[in-house]
Amino acid sequence: MKKADEKFDLPQGTLDLLIMRVVALGPIHGYAIAQRIQQMSRDALQVQQGSLYPALHRLEYKKFLAARWKPSETGREAKFYELTATGRAHLKAETESWSRLTDVVGLILKGTLEGI
Amino acid sequence: MSWLVRLFARKRMETDLDKELRFHFESQVADKVRSGIPENEARRLTRIEFGGLEQIKEDCRESRGTMWVESLAQDIRYGVRQLCKAPGFTSIAILSLTLGIGANTAIFTLLNAILLRPLPVENPKQLLLFGDGRAAGSTQAVPDESWRLFSDAFFHDFRQKNASFSGIAAVDSTQFATKASIAGSAYQTAHVDLVSGSYFSVLGVPAFTGRTIDEADDATPGAGPVAVASFSWFQRHFNGNPSALGKVIRIQTHDYTLVGVAKPGFTGITVGQSTDLWIPLSMEKAFDRPGWNGIGDKLFQSLLLIGRLKPGTTPAQAVAETNLLFQQIIRSYLGPQPSAKHLADLSHASVELTPGGLGISPLRFQYSLPLEILMAIVALVLLIACANIANMLLARGVARTREVAVRMALGASRRRIAVQLLTESALLAFLGAAAGVGLAWKASAMLLNMATPGPDPVPINLEPDFRVLTFTLGVTVITALLFGCLPAFRASGVEFTPALKEGRGVSSASSRGTLARSLIVGQVALSVLLLVVAGLFVRSLIHLYGVDTGFDKHNVLVFALDSSTANLSHGTDEIRSVRLQEQIEDHVKALPGVQSDSFSFFAFHDGGWNDQVLVQGIPRTPANGEPVAFNITGNGFFSAMGIPLLEGRTFNSEDQEHSPKVAVINETMARRFFPNGSPIGHRFSIGEAPDHPGEILVIGVVKDAKYFSLKENSQMAAYFPCTQSPGFFGNFVVRFAPGANPQEIISRTRLAVAAVNSNILVNDVSSLEELVDRSIAQQALIARLTTFFGILAVFLACIGIYGLLSYSVARRTSELGIRLALGAQSRTLLWLVLRESILLLALGLAIGIPIALSSTRILATLLYQLSPLDPAAIVIAIVTVTLMTLAAAWLPALRATRIDPLQALRTE
Repeated sequence: MKKADEKFDLPQGTLDLLIMRVVALGPIHGYAIAQRIQQMSRDALQVQQGSLYPALHRLEYKKFLAARWKPSETGREAKFYELTATGRAHLKAETESWSRLTDVVGLILKGTLEGI
Repeated sequence: MSWLVRLFARKRMETDLDKELRFHFESQVADKVRSGIPENEARRLTRIEFGGLEQIKEDCRESRGTMWVESLAQDIRYGVRQLCKAPGFTSIAILSLTLGIGANTAIFTLLNAILLRPLPVENPKQLLLFGDGRAAGSTQAVPDESWRLFSDAFFHDFRQKNASFSGIAAVDSTQFATKASIAGSAYQTAHVDLVSGSYFSVLGVPAFTGRTIDEADDATPGAGPVAVASFSWFQRHFNGNPSALGKVIRIQTHDYTLVGVAKPGFTGITVGQSTDLWIPLSMEKAFDRPGWNGIGDKLFQSLLLIGRLKPGTTPAQAVAETNLLFQQIIRSYLGPQPSAKHLADLSHASVELTPGGLGISPLRFQYSLPLEILMAIVALVLLIACANIANMLLARGVARTREVAVRMALGASRRRIAVQLLTESALLAFLGAAAGVGLAWKASAMLLNMATPGPDPVPINLEPDFRVLTFTLGVTVITALLFGCLPAFRASGVEFTPALKEGRGVSSASSRGTLARSLIVGQVALSVLLLVVAGLFVRSLIHLYGVDTGFDKHNVLVFALDSSTANLSHGTDEIRSVRLQEQIEDHVKALPGVQSDSFSFFAFHDGGWNDQVLVQGIPRTPANGEPVAFNITGNGFFSAMGIPLLEGRTFNSEDQEHSPKVAVINETMARRFFPNGSPIGHRFSIGEAPDHPGEILVIGVVKDAKYFSLKENSQMAAYFPCTQSPGFFGNFVVRFAPGANPQEIISRTRLAVAAVNSNILVNDVSSLEELVDRSIAQQALIARLTTFFGILAVFLACIGIYGLLSYSVARRTSELGIRLALGAQSRTLLWLVLRESILLLALGLAIGIPIALSSTRILATLLYQLSPLDPAAIVIAIVTVTLMTLAAAWLPALRATRIDPLQALRTE
């Protein structure tokens, strides 16, 4: 188990964005999503089941994700999520707005330091 | 996915959710095993990492967004199961809600129909009535106050000159309950309104078929022998067959062509009167009414006017213009040299414009206060029922503490628990409301019949409309919140660890007790209030029953006869009617069992005719200047009514058409005019300034008898013989011997009338006792209803007290057992329990009586010779509440004394 101080508190809505980004790579089940996020963040982010599944269900309800049952790599039936067309558009818009936000925030943060 | 699909696919979604999370769990375990952790340990670790599986599931359900539908369905199912598990509680709760909501809906239905519902016309808000609609009939005077009736001439002149109204409709203020015959068939009763040519267009009532009455029909006197039928009359007589158009309808003795049918639902502008046929005002002369000169006389006022305001004109502008024109027009009718009195009267006269969209209703003036009071009473009854159910729910809440704690431990949120408990309350309320609406539908019609008894039901549409249903829905929701909120919040505030351990909600029991006790104090207070009100109305009714009517109401039948189809013309030939009446009187008097009989203008509570009189040689004073009530009677009237003669004589066969005019007066008139001597031989005449002073000779004095109503004070009255004021007078009074069979008298009288003239129709028969009872039907109904609701309120409060004490005795079984074991006497235990109820009773009375004392003042106008602070009514209320409360407390108290100490100690 990770120590508590190595984890981030994700800003609101960020988890949805991360999930959609991972799902955008191809149909994937919940467990794999959690693992992929952990790997991609180099173990910095560990998504709890208690946040992951409600988020998945919310995105499915909003029709950003679609789900299908099919056999997983181990042969067991798993629920695979994939991005819908709306989801893809939403992801694109959200990603752009996210990078704009981080650019601006970064600009200000950097600027302040250099200005001193 | 639509919420409907969700609702039905719930089961599959639940298994999917479970499968999905299980897959995650197994994968995580498998990963751990792969990294070298033994399987058992891997499972344990994963379970810890996962946390509450049910919690995650609940969050997933929440995030679907349509969760409420599922949980609502779930709550309802659960609620139904819970209610079925407690049939006793459920049936008491639903029964009291049915009564409570039903009573509220029933009274509101009447209130809505009589006071609130707009006429089914176009844009009713634009309609303004001239005057307050409180008059019907005719007058030729120049009233020195706000005018209510208007002449035909005024209607036409005003209509031409005014600029405020887009149109004005006129309708004769008296509806005819007369006889009509369709294409030569038998005569049947029909209610006919005489209306102006503008009536239908101004009101915006289109024809269902054919056409309505138009201006051409009303252009000149006699111009339009046409009739428009109401939709329901058309249905009744023609089954809706359009070939009815063009048929000839004979009304009284004139023929009219049926030209159209008004739109369904429209029955005229008077609420509580239903018009069958509309006829143009131009045909007024076809209706024989003695002394009626509506078209000829510019000051003959008999019409109600209702105008439609022009868009953009304010009511204030309309009032200003109307009064200006009114003064000008009426001034022009008074002639070139008007009398000073007329001018003075006119300067005080005005026209008030009142909202006309609700129509006119005599019922409204009579019933608005009683209905509002009843509405308040039933609302209080419902409040008491709510308190009761809240109390029962609180008790159940304590019993269900464990259930709630278990559900919380399993992950249900407090909100979810509260919502679930509220759903149960709502379920109860809606079940009660559904039954209540059914009850109200029947009850409101029954109440209306009780309020206005008589041969014909008052035609008021009592079908629950949108407004009634909204009201009931609102009441139901408020009710559910009232009795459901407190218990729900209390239950969801359960501290679940102790609750789980104890298994019984001891921790919250004491605060629940305070709450329950205050509810009961409130119930007692309200019951006392309602019982005081009931007592006042009952005592007022008893006073009314005790009123000396002045006539003997037993063994008397009053027949309503109709001569309108007998072709008896008014005018010079009217003495023929009197001869016909005399023949009928002779025939009926000869019947076995009949003691005396007489025709009369009025019997009792029948409206009336009154005016001032001037007695020769006696100056007018305020006391003798009051109007005298007149009646026109046959020779046998006083013996038939049982009004004793005090002095002089009554009418006999010598009082003929051309013999000197005579009158019998009553005691009050004798006393006011002749305080010191006999009135016999004095002369008077009718009117403020009579044309023939002293033409009437007083020949007798009779005892005072009630004339208009039982409530009236001493009223001056004078009686004239039919022969000297000829006409056909529809009341036929028959006194029969005690013990005679009234049914036989009725059928024999019918035959006798038919034998004299088969065209005279017997409309209906009532006993004089029934007429007296009908005159106080309103008071009797209010007394009965308030008593019923008062008793219901006390009964509900008693159930509450009984429940509370039973519960507290049950809870204190061990304590009481110990007391018994230590030697306490049964008497002490009895007192211990009763003491609690007496305290609650005392508090309830202390709150309820001041409320009653300060609020019964609003009833004053409805009480007959009774102070709204009548001590007897208050004492009766206190005694009733006290006795019922103690009776309710007695049973649980008795149970406390019967506890077996051994048993009691073992139970805990």
